[in-house]
Formats: sequence, C-alpha cells, structure tokens
Amino acid sequence: MLENMAEEALPNGFVENPIAGSNPPASKKKRNQPGNPDPEAEVIALSPKTLMATNRFLCEICGKGFQRDQNLQLHRRGHNLPWKLKQRTSKEIRKRVYVCPEKSCVHHHASRALGDLTGIKKHFCRKHGEKKWKCEKCAKRYAVQSDWKAHSKTCGTREYKCDCGTIFSRRDSFITHRAFCDALAEETARLNAASNMSNAVANNINYHFMPTPLGPSMAQHFSSIFKPISSNEEAINQTTRGLSLWMGQGSSQGQESIGNNNLHGIHQLGSVSSGTIFGDPLVSCSNPPPSDYQLNWVFGTKLSSSNAEELTASNSLPLTDVKEAGTQLLSVPSLYSTQHQSHQTPSANMSATALLQKAAQIGVTTTDPSFLGSFGLKCSDSQVRDGNKLCGVLYGTSNPILSTNIGNDVENSAGDLLQVHPAKRRHTMNEESGGGGQTRDFLGVGVQTICHPSSINGWI
Amino acid sequence: MAPMLQDEGSSSVTSSPLQLFSMMSLSPNLGSPYPFVRELKSEERGLYLIHLLLTCANHVAAGSLENANIALEQISQLASPDGDTMQRIAAYFTEALADRILKAWPGLHKALNSTKLTLVSEEILVQKLFFELFPFMKVAFVLTNQAIVEAMEGEKMVHIIDLNAAEPAQWIALIQVLSARPEGPPHLRITGVHQQREVLEQMAFKLTEEAEKLDIPFQFNPVVSKLDNLDFEKLRVKTGEALAISSVLQLHSLLASDDELLRKKSPLAPKNLNGIHLPGVPQINQSTLGELLEKDLVNGHSRSPDSATSSPQSLSASAKMDGFVNALWGLTPKLMVITEQDSNHNGSTLMERLLEALYSYAALFDCLESTVPRTLERLKLEKMLFGEEIKNIIACEGAERKERHEKLEKWVQRLDLAGFGNLPLSYYGMLQAGRLLQGYGSDGYKIKEENGCVVICWQDRALFSVSAWRCRK
Repeated sequence: MLENMAEEALPNGFVENPIAGSNPPASKKKRNQPGNPDPEAEVIALSPKTLMATNRFLCEICGKGFQRDQNLQLHRRGHNLPWKLKQRTSKEIRKRVYVCPEKSCVHHHASRALGDLTGIKKHFCRKHGEKKWKCEKCAKRYAVQSDWKAHSKTCGTREYKCDCGTIFSRRDSFITHRAFCDALAEETARLNAASNMSNAVANNINYHFMPTPLGPSMAQHFSSIFKPISSNEEAINQTTRGLSLWMGQGSSQGQESIGNNNLHGIHQLGSVSSGTIFGDPLVSCSNPPPSDYQLNWVFGTKLSSSNAEELTASNSLPLTDVKEAGTQLLSVPSLYSTQHQSHQTPSANMSATALLQKAAQIGVTTTDPSFLGSFGLKCSDSQVRDGNKLCGVLYGTSNPILSTNIGNDVENSAGDLLQVHPAKRRHTMNEESGGGGQTRDFLGVGVQTICHPSSINGWI
Repeated sequence: MAPMLQDEGSSSVTSSPLQLFSMMSLSPNLGSPYPFVRELKSEERGLYLIHLLLTCANHVAAGSLENANIALEQISQLASPDGDTMQRIAAYFTEALADRILKAWPGLHKALNSTKLTLVSEEILVQKLFFELFPFMKVAFVLTNQAIVEAMEGEKMVHIIDLNAAEPAQWIALIQVLSARPEGPPHLRITGVHQQREVLEQMAFKLTEEAEKLDIPFQFNPVVSKLDNLDFEKLRVKTGEALAISSVLQLHSLLASDDELLRKKSPLAPKNLNGIHLPGVPQINQSTLGELLEKDLVNGHSRSPDSATSSPQSLSASAKMDGFVNALWGLTPKLMVITEQDSNHNGSTLMERLLEALYSYAALFDCLESTVPRTLERLKLEKMLFGEEIKNIIACEGAERKERHEKLEKWVQRLDLAGFGNLPLSYYGMLQAGRLLQGYGSDGYKIKEENGCVVICWQDRALFSVSAWRCRK
C-alpha cells in the first residue's frame, strides 16, 4: 500500500514556525501548498471502502463506533477495559499524503496527493460520490454533509434582484450583471434626461452675480435646503455600535443595526451611485464590473457568514430598510432632490471652492507684493496665484476714490482702533488709483459690485 | 462723509447688498443684527465670509486683537455649522482663529478646555465615518494591498506593520486576496500600532476570525503606543520574513521642525503693542508679540531654513521625522506604502496655512455636500475631524501642531533622502482604485498618477496621495 515517491522533487522548502492565534498553539503545522505535497512524505492509498467508512472502530461492549482508534481507546476507559494509546511508531514525524482511489482523478497520482485524510475523504465524496444531501429551499444537492450544512445556512438569506428579474445569491455576479443589463441602461437614460431638464430651469436663477431684490423669496429658497434631516436617534446609536461591521460581517453584532446599514449600506453596494441611496432606485452607474476580488472585499459584502440579519440587497436596498430604520431615510429622498438640484445650480448654492476662486478673481489686479509683504503675508508657492488673489480681496481692488473717502471717514469714526495700519493702506490705495480702471473693465457688468469689497476694506 | 453714506443707505432697496456691508461695518459696536445679512444670497454671503475670514486672520497675525474681535463678531452672524458649505467652513475656521487668540491668555484657554469630554467611542466613530463617507481610505487600502500582494509574490512569511491599526477592513481584504493566491497563502503576521487598546483588540478579533475562516496561519500583534515614542523593538521584526509597512495619514504628525520645538508655545502673547494692552496678565514664558510679529515678517521676506513653503527644495529640518524614517529604513522593509494628505498645511506663517487650508477644506466640504445628506453623522465628521484638524492647523504651534500636511513632492524628497526608492504603483492597482471611485457615484472624485504615485482629487483639488517605497541600499 505504500508507494515511494519517484516523481520530480518539488521545491517546497518551508521554515518551521509557530503559529499562534487561529490554530491550537500546541501543534506545529507545516503547511504545504495545496496539491503540491512534500517530496519526503509517505504516500498512502486507501481503498474507496476505507475512505467512505465511518466509525470503523467499534467498542465491543456497547457497539459504539468511532472514526479513530484513539477515540475508541479513550472510550474503553469508561468501561474499565484495558486501553492503550498508540504512540508514534517512529521518532520522526513522517508526513502522510493520500491519493484518490479513482483512477481518472487528478489526485490519483502521487505528485498531486492531498495532505489531509479528511480532505481526501471529502474530495472523494464530492467528486466521485453520490449526492445524497439535498437543500430544502433550492435544488442543490451535495455529497458531503458539511457542504450541505454550510449551504443551507446561507441559502436564501441574501438575494440580490436585478430590475430585469434575475435573482443572484452572489454579490459579485449581481454587480457584473447589472453593469451589462439592458433593462437597467434604459431606465438610467430615461432618468438622466428627466433630471437634466429640471436642472436647466433652476440654473437660470441667480447665475450671475447680479444685484437682485432681497426679500423673503431668498429665505424660502434656502430654507428648503437648510431643512435638517430628522436624524433618527436610534439609528445613530446603532451606528455607533455597529459601525465596525461595514463589511457586512455584522454577524457578531446580531442586531446588525439598520441605521448602521444606512450608513454603510450607502457604500456597500460598491457600484451603487448616490442616486440610488437617495431614493432613486433605478439609477445606477454604468461601471465596468468590479470583478476583481479585492474590490469586492474592500467594500463589498461576503455572503458566507451565517448572519441572518444581513442586508437583503435589492435595487432599492436602502429603502427596503426604511421601515426598520425609521424616519432617517424618509426625508432623504426629498432632500436629495433638493440637494441634487442645488448641486446643479451653482449660483443657488455655490461650492466653496468656486466661491474661493471667485473671491480670488475679484482681487486679482491688486497683488502688490510689497504691500502684502509689509504685513507679513507670504503666500505659498504652489498656490501663489490663488493666495495672492485672495489677499487681494482683502486689500481692495478698485474705485479708490470711493474707498479712500470712506476709509478716511470710517477711520475717523471708528476711533483709535486702527492706528498703525490705516496710514499705510490709505497711502497704497491712493497709489492704486491709476489702476482702478482695470478692475472696472475686468468684470464688465456689475461694476457696482466690484467696488464693494474695496469699500469694505476702506474702513478696515 | 456721513451724508454720503446715508444716501447709500436710503437707496438700499435697489443697490447690491455688498454695498451695505460698508454701512454695517461702520458701526461695529451695534450689537443689533443686520437685517440685510439674513437676506443675503448664499453666494454673496459666501464671498463676504471669505473676506471676513481673511480680514480676521490678518488681524490675528498682526496681533490686532480688537479688530479681530470685530471681525469674529461679524462672521458669527453669518457662519453656521448647519448652513451651506461656506458657512460651515467659516464656522470652523472662525473657531480656530478664536482659539488661537484665546491662547494669548493661557490660563483662560486652559480653564475653558478643562472640562471637555473626549469620548474614545466618539473618536472611533469619527474615524469610522471618515472611512465610510469618503472613498479616500478605501482607495488607499486598495492601492496598499495591491502593492503588498505584488511585492510579496512568492514570499512564504509576510509581516505587515500597520502604523495606525484602526480599520480591520483593509487587512480582511488582504487576507482574502492572499488566501486565493495560486501558490497558496503565506504565513501572515500583522503588527498593529494604535493608541487605544480597545481598538487593537477589536482588530485582533476581526482579523483572527477572518483568518480562521480561510484557514490561513495568522498572528496579530498589538502595540499600544503613540507614534512619536514608538519603541521599534516592540515591533518584533524577525529575520527571514518579508516586511511591509503601511502608514495611512500618520507620518505628518512627526514633522514639527527642530526650530519650532525650541521656540515657545504660545502663538500670541499679551504684550503691549499697537495700543493693545492687557492689564494684569503675567507674562510667563511667552515670546513677545513683537518677536512673533517679527518672525512672521521675517519669514515673509526671507527664506528661513524652517519655512516649509518658501522654496520647494528646502525641507524643514525635523529630527523627529528623520529619526523615525531612519528607524523604518533600519527595519529594511521590502515595501512601504505611505498615504498622506496632499496639501501644504505646514507653512510657517498663519496666513499661508490659512489660505491653503481654505482651499483644501473647501474641497472636502464641497465633496461632503455633494455626496452625503446633511445628517448628524456628517456634522460630527465635519466638526470632530475636520474642525479639529483646522483648529490644529490654525491655532497651534510647535509641538502641539500635529496636522502638518505637506505636498507629495516633499514626502518624495524626504523619503528619497532617507534611503528609500520609489516603487511605482501598479497599473492594476490604479485600475481597481479608479473603479472604486466610480462606484462612489460622484464624478467629482478623480485619481491621477504622478511619478509612480497616486493622487486622489476632488474636482481639481488634490487631497490625498499614495506612494510606495522600497529600501535602497
């Protein structure tokens, strides 16, 4: 039954090292690469009968069967029978590898033997055995009982459903499908067209920096944007607790907090656009499928865990959780639509970056280095342009006459606050009177507005 | 003059609101709310806020505390952590400036901060939120992991040192990728450094669980320590193992230059200047305002050796950083991946830093506004993470200032000088990162390659950089 390895030597030099943590610290386990056994190992070929046999070792007293002799011996102690635990026969540890008895199998050859007895048993059952175990929920059959058990734990717990009706149990195949699904593409196109139209209208409001009558209309416009989302306290508390489980490995935290899900549900479906989160279930980004393993794990969810609470992911993933999440998400769609709108209407709610650039523009003509330097301002090289421009906002741009006059008077009325600096500023302002005209031309329409930053500066 | 102003005031209905600013600015002592201010359009208000911020900062830098106070008063009318982007940014910057001013009265400052509650759970939450709400960390993880997988091809013993082991997701992903490699998984050891034991325990639990599931030999070693007094012995690097070091947003805290550390702490001192005299305040160990002002002026003009920004070539001399990087080099890692903020927030003068920070945080706040609804979590993130960073950049000096972000080119120089050679990040890694960003649903996120390193941007603003390094002999 014992064969000697005559095949090529496999370069598997391993360093022995203790493995703490996951494995029991007592055993020193040498791990070979799967399917590439140690050339020094003893090859054992068992017959199918032996492989399939369970409980070969029987107790003579009670007839109880054991898979291993050692277990039987220990059992015999209970009957006060003489027992002997076999020691290792040789001093060295002779590694054993096993081959599959099935001739047509790859693992039949010694060079592809498997190192684990349990492993070879399972392999034999799976590949060459009859599938006796059947899943209740779906049609899958299994030859190995542990496989069947593992499957039935996850079967039906997680399902992804595409809009075209196909159901997936695996997240990665779901995402791949969605990227190419025709039905989805249509919906996306339709929705994009719709949203673009509504935004075009809003864009015209206040796009240019023009004086407009102030009044309640402005306040109303803002109030819809400023309406805070009624944050669900519960959701937040749960988020606090469960946030470490962004991967959906929330198995250990049973109550996989739904609020938690909101937060990382948002990013859990990696390719889900923000549109989906905010209640637009049919919008998806036409991504190339993130089929690479790592991407999925980094921000995807593994389906293997036994957590029954895992998200039932569907297109309207976050929304299905709404009822459990309470009010948090309900207000989101409305906010999103408003926000989305405002995002598209730069004037109504200009991004801060745009504002800074605009401010820099307004101050662009008066970058007098010495002027800046005298106040200890040194703007960084990399952002010199912007920085200087922003400083320019500070120190005034144009219409020196207006500003100077105001400045003078303001200083007088403001008292002794500005002893040191005003003198300098006034002086420089006057010098810049020649250049005032440039700024006026710069922005064209809205000359009035240009003056004003300087008029502010005048008094400061 | 007064009549002229009154004329303007009477025609306020049709004139631009900005024109009214001057009128309002005239009477700083009027505590009454300016009705027009409320009615300002968001854009105008935003511009005014920028103006006020700069004004205030200038006053603070110059030591004109009274003027700064007036500006602060005005900003407070307009800024709000709950408002639009510019209002939020202004709120945090104002707070930072106020904090800076307050440090001139160290007793007052300490007293006001003495009962502050800093809950560890909240800090952990905020880090989580940063990880969740933004893709930046995820991209950094993807790139880091890919670099590790590639560098460790064929290695049987892999040891990874994580200088800020807070987020298990990164290593879970790596474990999964490693378990699937054709040659089988290596023996994996991860050493995690963090200040809080609980965080490390959680990490250990999660990672060990994952490794057990996949049947990978795995070991997690926690090291509870701050970075600046990290004992490298505790890292237990063994010979024969392939070492990879991952540093995500950690190194910059070590950048305080030697000069700054020697100087005194307080940015402002209650010293008699410009007519501002604070009676009865003892001057203990403060550099005088005059000295500080002079320092600012000097730095403004000349290229002082510790000015991190006056020339791109000069790196600030920081013994702490050098020591740390040399120690890292001494471990002879096979790979080191550094993720850092890609902004220059380490300028020597307040104005430099403020201007840079305005742009950077504008981009970050814009990003949030565009991608995340205005929830409490977002507010927490803005306040407890960004607000604190801004406060540190603006109000702190010397050893207290930890958020010393620098541009990628400076990091490249530093690491190069220390004996590291740049390893270009792989195309495949960048592809994955790009896909991840696309999946975030907003096309504002951009990724670009710069000399083998990756820079993650929001719109056009560079925010974070990821670079990989190997030990050069």
